[in-house]
Amino acid sequence: MPRSAVRRAGSPFTGLRPVFMKELSDHLSSVRMLVLTLFVIVFGALPVGFALNDLRNVVVSDPYLFLRIFTVTPERVGLSFIEALNFIIPLMAIGLGFDSINSEFNRRTLSRVLSQPLYRDALLLGKFLGGLATLAVALVALWLIVLGAGLLLLGLPPRGVEVARGIGFLVVAIAYGGVWLAVAMLFSVIFRSTATSALCSLGLWLFFLILWPMIASVITVGFTPSQFTSIDQMVAVAELGQALERLSPNILFREAVVGLLNPETRSLGFMLPMQMRGAIPGAPLPLDQSLILIWPPLTGLIAGMIVLFTVAYIVFQREEVRA
Amino acid sequence: MADNVIEARGLLKLYGSQRAVDAIDLEIHRGEIFGLLGPNGAGKTTAILMMLGLTEISGGSVEVLGFNPVREPLEVKRRVGYLPDSVGFYDHLTARENLAYTARLLDIPRSQAGRRIMEALESVKLADVVDKRVATFSRGMRQRLGIAEIVMKQAEVAILDEPTSGLDPHATFELLEMIRGLKRTGVAVLLSSHLLDRVQSVCDRVALFNKGKIALMGTVVQLANQVLGAGHPILVEAQGIDVAAALRGVEGVQSVVPEGPQESGGGAWRVMADRDVRAAAAQRIVSAGGSLTRLADLQPSLEEVYTRYFQEARHAA
Amino acid sequence: MRCLTAVLAVLFATLVAGTGFAQGDTPKGLFLTTDYPSQTVRAGEVTTIRLKLTNAGLPPEPVALALKDVPAGWKIDILGGGQPVAAAMPGVNQDVGLQLRVEVPKDAKPGSSKVLISAKGPIAQSVELPLTLTVGTETPAKLSIKSRLPSLRGTPRSAFEYTITVGNDSGKDLTVALSAQGPANFQTTFTEGFGSNEISSIPIEAGQTKDIKVKVTPPRDVKAGDYPVLVKVASEGATAELRVTLQVSGQGRLALSTRDGRLSGEAEVGKSSTYTLVLANDGTAPIEEVEMSGTVPTNWKVEFNPKTIPSLAPNEKKDVAVVVTPADKAIAGDYVASFRANGRGESASADFRITVTTSTLWGIVGVGIIAVALLVLLGAVARFGRR
Repeated sequence: MPRSAVRRAGSPFTGLRPVFMKELSDHLSSVRMLVLTLFVIVFGALPVGFALNDLRNVVVSDPYLFLRIFTVTPERVGLSFIEALNFIIPLMAIGLGFDSINSEFNRRTLSRVLSQPLYRDALLLGKFLGGLATLAVALVALWLIVLGAGLLLLGLPPRGVEVARGIGFLVVAIAYGGVWLAVAMLFSVIFRSTATSALCSLGLWLFFLILWPMIASVITVGFTPSQFTSIDQMVAVAELGQALERLSPNILFREAVVGLLNPETRSLGFMLPMQMRGAIPGAPLPLDQSLILIWPPLTGLIAGMIVLFTVAYIVFQREEVRA
Repeated sequence: MADNVIEARGLLKLYGSQRAVDAIDLEIHRGEIFGLLGPNGAGKTTAILMMLGLTEISGGSVEVLGFNPVREPLEVKRRVGYLPDSVGFYDHLTARENLAYTARLLDIPRSQAGRRIMEALESVKLADVVDKRVATFSRGMRQRLGIAEIVMKQAEVAILDEPTSGLDPHATFELLEMIRGLKRTGVAVLLSSHLLDRVQSVCDRVALFNKGKIALMGTVVQLANQVLGAGHPILVEAQGIDVAAALRGVEGVQSVVPEGPQESGGGAWRVMADRDVRAAAAQRIVSAGGSLTRLADLQPSLEEVYTRYFQEARHAA
Repeated sequence: MRCLTAVLAVLFATLVAGTGFAQGDTPKGLFLTTDYPSQTVRAGEVTTIRLKLTNAGLPPEPVALALKDVPAGWKIDILGGGQPVAAAMPGVNQDVGLQLRVEVPKDAKPGSSKVLISAKGPIAQSVELPLTLTVGTETPAKLSIKSRLPSLRGTPRSAFEYTITVGNDSGKDLTVALSAQGPANFQTTFTEGFGSNEISSIPIEAGQTKDIKVKVTPPRDVKAGDYPVLVKVASEGATAELRVTLQVSGQGRLALSTRDGRLSGEAEVGKSSTYTLVLANDGTAPIEEVEMSGTVPTNWKVEFNPKTIPSLAPNEKKDVAVVVTPADKAIAGDYVASFRANGRGESASADFRITVTTSTLWGIVGVGIIAVALLVLLGAVARFGRR
């Protein structure tokens, strides 16, 4: 059968824009988004508020004071803003994506929409981009609020470098959200039941949040010899543990964000003491070096997002339209 | 050829080794209402989806308005309106918003979209609920909204999948009226249904679907001739006469079969003739001294055709 | 015992008497003496004259002291231990120091006056000391200066310390101002003999001397050669001069820097970066065999070109290329590398801040990963797309 030889006419992006706009406006006006926003505010406001409170009492002049708002772990909360975001973002993304396709099935709108002049490609991509844009809007708004609060309470403007690093952080956060959005959409394609899809997404999220670090360390321990015979061996084991951990998007996000918002971070990985010899402690890396440092986790997140979307895409394309 | 809006040749759909649509040939003419009839699971919806390019074609070819839905599905979908089985709309949006989304997908200019949406909604008598959420709509209203979408689309072909299923008689009547309205505006309508009697009244031609194959195709009369035998059946009810004997002599009468239980001195007969023999039959009965209580032109019932056909098919099997 | 003592005493007495008589002159009695019985005093000033009352071989007894012939308007006191005294009592064969405080009125006319000082014991005879005090015109103060080691040798960075002895050869206490005159940019400081305080003048009592240290610091870039410094002391018109000499021998001095003074640079991981250091001799003598060395973080490489410089003349500058290669596994960030130049006895070092940058290769790899993911997506679109 010459099925794969068939070249269909027209751009696969036909109709992308209306789908995107509809998804965006649906998300932004939905009650669900309101709930998620409240959730974000509650979880974000505490660390930021206490961090600002702590930072106001800091006497030492810190060239990256603004970035500390994100990274400082206030004593009374025990959770920094980025750590809070580390689990808020997946929740938001899952909340936006878990029913994006299967609800169309269930409402029997899918075949009607697909009988309009557009391909499924555009529908899925439009929904994904719509969700991603919603996430981006929410994150930018959140970021601006934090920035504004910082301006108000610290009484000094952020420097250009800090703003640049902050924008980099936004990119990382959006990519991270994109990964979870793709996960949620994949499940929404696979499962007709929205409840199942939500459950699977949340389960995967919990898995990576709680279980995966444990599993990674268990595997690493399994590979650890009873006695190290060389430093190389030790490094190899440490690197194995790290490589395993990095399969988790949560870890990638944390690494990328720490590398960006803590300019003093020189390495995300395991460091030998001899690598630190002669190093000037506390010297911040220039922005371009920080970017190189976080490049692998960032590209990992983006590539993961694309691959997950591709899987969702393939599954969706192979599905029958008829409900 | 130019008058065919849909033309299928050997259209085939395989699900594994199962032939969901088994090499059907189909032609639908411009401006006609074509009924695709058959039991559930006969492959009607699959055939429709293939015409729209919404599902892969395993073999054969189909052309819709001169476009190949495999190669140019966008062109097909731009010109064909589709009302799926139990159509759904976005519940949280109003009727107008739902159609506006479709209008954007169709790339209808904003300046025209508003007017076209209102006209379409008026044509399906939904003008008064334009800004109500679809969540509040009844099933009939949703189907009408689906028709409105096709109207707004200014489609050349409307494909309606089970448009009347689940509707009450009044709603069904209204909907069929609207389908006739579509035809009046020059739209070719392909509708699928398993409810034969309702479809019969609006369809110009029908195709009977069975197990992925088109068993019969043609006008209802043609089908009846084919299945029930050619001729013009009439029903005669008379008293006080041997109807069968009296009518056998009438020119054109082929058979006289008692219909129902025969009472003493009277009953109902089904008379098959090669022409309309009602006048001659009445004259003969009356002249033979019988009292004619009923004389009816028996339209061939699709139901009958259907039942008969499948009975025969089962016998054959 | 007593008998023996008596015999001895007699013997001694005869001996003494015998020798005394044999020598003919062993004064016995009370003496009032002074070093300078004829002195010059100045009108309006107080002069102190030292007297000495000596008891030679007499039993101690109080001796009354008196003045006679004090000129009108003069005020003369006899002082003992700083206090006016009227009598003194020297022990046997001892003396008592006395001072005569002579206060000459301002309007005293020039000329000589005789003053008689008498000392009269109750038993012994009375002695008299005639003093001739001449009211004269002011006698000039007189200072002397000398140094045991007037010529010192050293490098431009050595301290040239001369100990000089300043004497007040006049009859009165003087405050002596100290100054020195050397070549331009030579710094001179005076300190007290053993003190550390810098002084500009020093009081010296009449007839006394004091040791003063003169420290001369030549400018760093002074050329080799002999430099005289004239040390001057002055007081009340009296001056004395001493010429000391600095024999400055030449010395080299190394300095390590860069051309623009910026001691920082960038280096990429695993790749060599070259910085140009400037080695200079700020000194006055050539430096031989300067060797370059460096301390860099572990597993880094550092090379110098040239590694050694045979000779560097004064004021000569030489570019030294230093090639630093961070370790392959170095982590981005700032590191300190120390570069050193060691000549004979001379060294210089510079701490260099190196910002290590990592290769953008991994960045390209990352882009590649994204590109692969996109290709997979495009493949999926090609295979499954547009339905």
